[in-house]
Amino acid sequence: MERRRSRRLDLALGGLGLASLLLLYWVGSRTTTFVPPIGEVVSQIPAFLTEEEIWVDVVATVRRVFGALAIAMGVGFLAAYVMSRGGLWGRVIDRYVSIMLGIPSTIAALLALFIFKRSEVGVYFVVAIITFPFVALTLLQGLRAADRRLDEMSEVYRLSTVAHARHVAGPHLVPYTFAALRNEYAHAWKVVVLAELFAVNTGMGARFARAFDRFLLVDAMLWLLLFMLILLGTEYLLLLPAERRILRWRVSAREAAAGEGAA
Amino acid sequence: MEVRTARVPLLGPDRLRRVQAFVVAALLALAMWQLATFISDGWVPSLAEIGTAFAEDVTTPLTYQEIWITFRRILIAFAGATTVGIALGAAMGLSRRVTAFFRPIVVLGLAVPDPVYIIVAILVLGTEESSGLIAMILALIPFVVNIVVGGVRSRDRGLDEMSAVYRLGRRRYLTDVVARQVAPALLAATRTCFAFSWKLVVLVEALTQPRGIGAQIYFAFRLLRPDHMISLALIFILVLRAVEALVFTPLERRVLAWMR
Amino acid sequence: MMREGTVTPVGTHDYIRVEGLRVSYDRENTAIEDLDMVVGKGEFVAVLGPSGCGKSTLLHVMAGLLRPEAGRVDIGGRPVGGPADGEAPRIGYVFQDHRLLPWRTVGQNLRTVLRSAGVPAEQIEERIDRYLGMLHIERFRNTWPMRLSGGQRQRVSIARALAIHPAVVLMDEPFSTLDEVTARLMRQQLAQLWEESSQTIVFVTHSIREALFLADRIYILTRGPARVFDVVTVMLDRPRGYEDLRLTELEGQIVDRVMEVWGYGAVDAAPDREG
Repeated sequence: MERRRSRRLDLALGGLGLASLLLLYWVGSRTTTFVPPIGEVVSQIPAFLTEEEIWVDVVATVRRVFGALAIAMGVGFLAAYVMSRGGLWGRVIDRYVSIMLGIPSTIAALLALFIFKRSEVGVYFVVAIITFPFVALTLLQGLRAADRRLDEMSEVYRLSTVAHARHVAGPHLVPYTFAALRNEYAHAWKVVVLAELFAVNTGMGARFARAFDRFLLVDAMLWLLLFMLILLGTEYLLLLPAERRILRWRVSAREAAAGEGAA
Repeated sequence: MEVRTARVPLLGPDRLRRVQAFVVAALLALAMWQLATFISDGWVPSLAEIGTAFAEDVTTPLTYQEIWITFRRILIAFAGATTVGIALGAAMGLSRRVTAFFRPIVVLGLAVPDPVYIIVAILVLGTEESSGLIAMILALIPFVVNIVVGGVRSRDRGLDEMSAVYRLGRRRYLTDVVARQVAPALLAATRTCFAFSWKLVVLVEALTQPRGIGAQIYFAFRLLRPDHMISLALIFILVLRAVEALVFTPLERRVLAWMR
Repeated sequence: MMREGTVTPVGTHDYIRVEGLRVSYDRENTAIEDLDMVVGKGEFVAVLGPSGCGKSTLLHVMAGLLRPEAGRVDIGGRPVGGPADGEAPRIGYVFQDHRLLPWRTVGQNLRTVLRSAGVPAEQIEERIDRYLGMLHIERFRNTWPMRLSGGQRQRVSIARALAIHPAVVLMDEPFSTLDEVTARLMRQQLAQLWEESSQTIVFVTHSIREALFLADRIYILTRGPARVFDVVTVMLDRPRGYEDLRLTELEGQIVDRVMEVWGYGAVDAAPDREG
């Protein structure tokens, strides 16, 4: 009972926070020339969402995000693996990764635009180059944190390399993979917008840019809302539940300690 | 408290290995770049071209003026975002209610792409320099807040109870109990904020020219001078990473020492 | 206290042979110095020593996890620690911390190990049922380990060790992290299980009473670098009572003998009096 009331208070406060944002927006729309009033934006939502063209661009962006992120996860894992083994190549890759962590996305976007001109490859390149070092770093942490005790158990019971990878090493990395995915998913979305802004004519970033250029500010707001809806929606309705389900074997430290001592 | 650093011989095996890795990495990268130049039939500027442009840019005083302009902006945005971010993050971390109120705002703040912050700021606040800076600060705050909240939340609640029992008082509680535990998170937040801010400023300047290194890079791009684009980018990145290394590494060491 | 004749070995008396074992941690610290040991098939042997004397190291070598500097370990005539093919003897190991895969259910934990032991697919499920039943934890078959109590997790660990029908079950202070009541229960059940299964067991402990309660013979080690100080044959009939006066007497005798060797000469109380 106490908990439920407390959570309701939290929700209410959250709602209050959102309301104050809307209030700020409303003040902005009254006091400046360029911010369109809320009413106008909201009224256009249905028409906006039913336009077919919109979804073509949305799909284009979604495809790029998922494609580039998949590449980043794969390359990031390889890099982390090489780094964890040490040796000359481990250190070389380590250098590369730390250098690439420090590249501003704008510079990467301009470079990609220059090299690949206006093409899909350029966008994939930018998003993958910017996000994969972060993935590598997180996965490296996971590989380094390998539990020696479970490795010993695996050795005693003679688990084959495949069995070890499947039952011990792999599952150990899953929480780290999710951490990397969570962070870089949002990151990739934002980089994609930047890349599209500079480099291509399709996709949500490009539509943003066009809307602003033509002073179609209601459109720009609508695109922003759609973007945030998709990003947050997929995060909370896809990623989070997936993570929770796959990691449902976990138990908080407190619960684990409480279980001790009973037969 | 003395911090002992091991005496590393100049040509010890560890040093040697690191140098070796550096050399291999550099040679490999340079070779790949030349290959790219070759494949693209000269479209991608060769190492020689980049080298010449680099020598030029490094010796032009204008370059450093532009870098200074950019650096000023970085500092302002960094300072603003760090102060607000830490204050807000601490407030949220210490109080569940405050967290509940601001959480949706922070989440939304993280979901807005950087170009949108910049463009909206310009539209609302005009084309002065301050709009870009405000946009930067707004974009950076959510990141700082997240790190600080994480650090403050993961503090030992047992010590909170202890402070209450011994009636330590708000100020002593914050400085002796909370700050010490949270120091590494604060350091991480500061470091991250600085790193993000110099990456972000390039975008701001590219969109809102005409001054600053980001603008120069963008101009070089538009004027199809890729050699200068790359050389300016290199200079900028080298300078900023040097600053990071010179400022934050010793700072880290001092904070860790203070923590003991 | 070595008594002959009345000891009844089950099968060959040197099913496990440890000869001249010498193991070092690094260049300076020797864990085990010239250790010899024999264990008969189906025997329950305890290895008793103070904390940190190298008893776990001994188990590690017997399991093939660690290479000795000198000496050898044979089980059933075959050397331990060879490559993972069909030749090396199968080992069951119960660690002090359960070392169950937290991301697999209890049943899956056993299945993984059974498959790796080459048990044919048709027999696996039945074995899981049987051994979970023996340890009275069949109802946890589909539960995740972290939802179980410490005692239950150790039962799973024991079931896992037994299920592969190993040549020997090595147990490294398996009950030392449990509370006293649970530990007593587990000791009793282990003793029963052993009698029913005739499994060879090598059990490491620092508790004299525990060793006396469970084992046929006890190898008492010195402090590190460890060597065998004495071998005690426990002449009590089973089932034994943990509070049995005869046990207490034997315990007292052993305590007196090891006091000096383990370095407690000046101290009054026995080193493992449970508080």
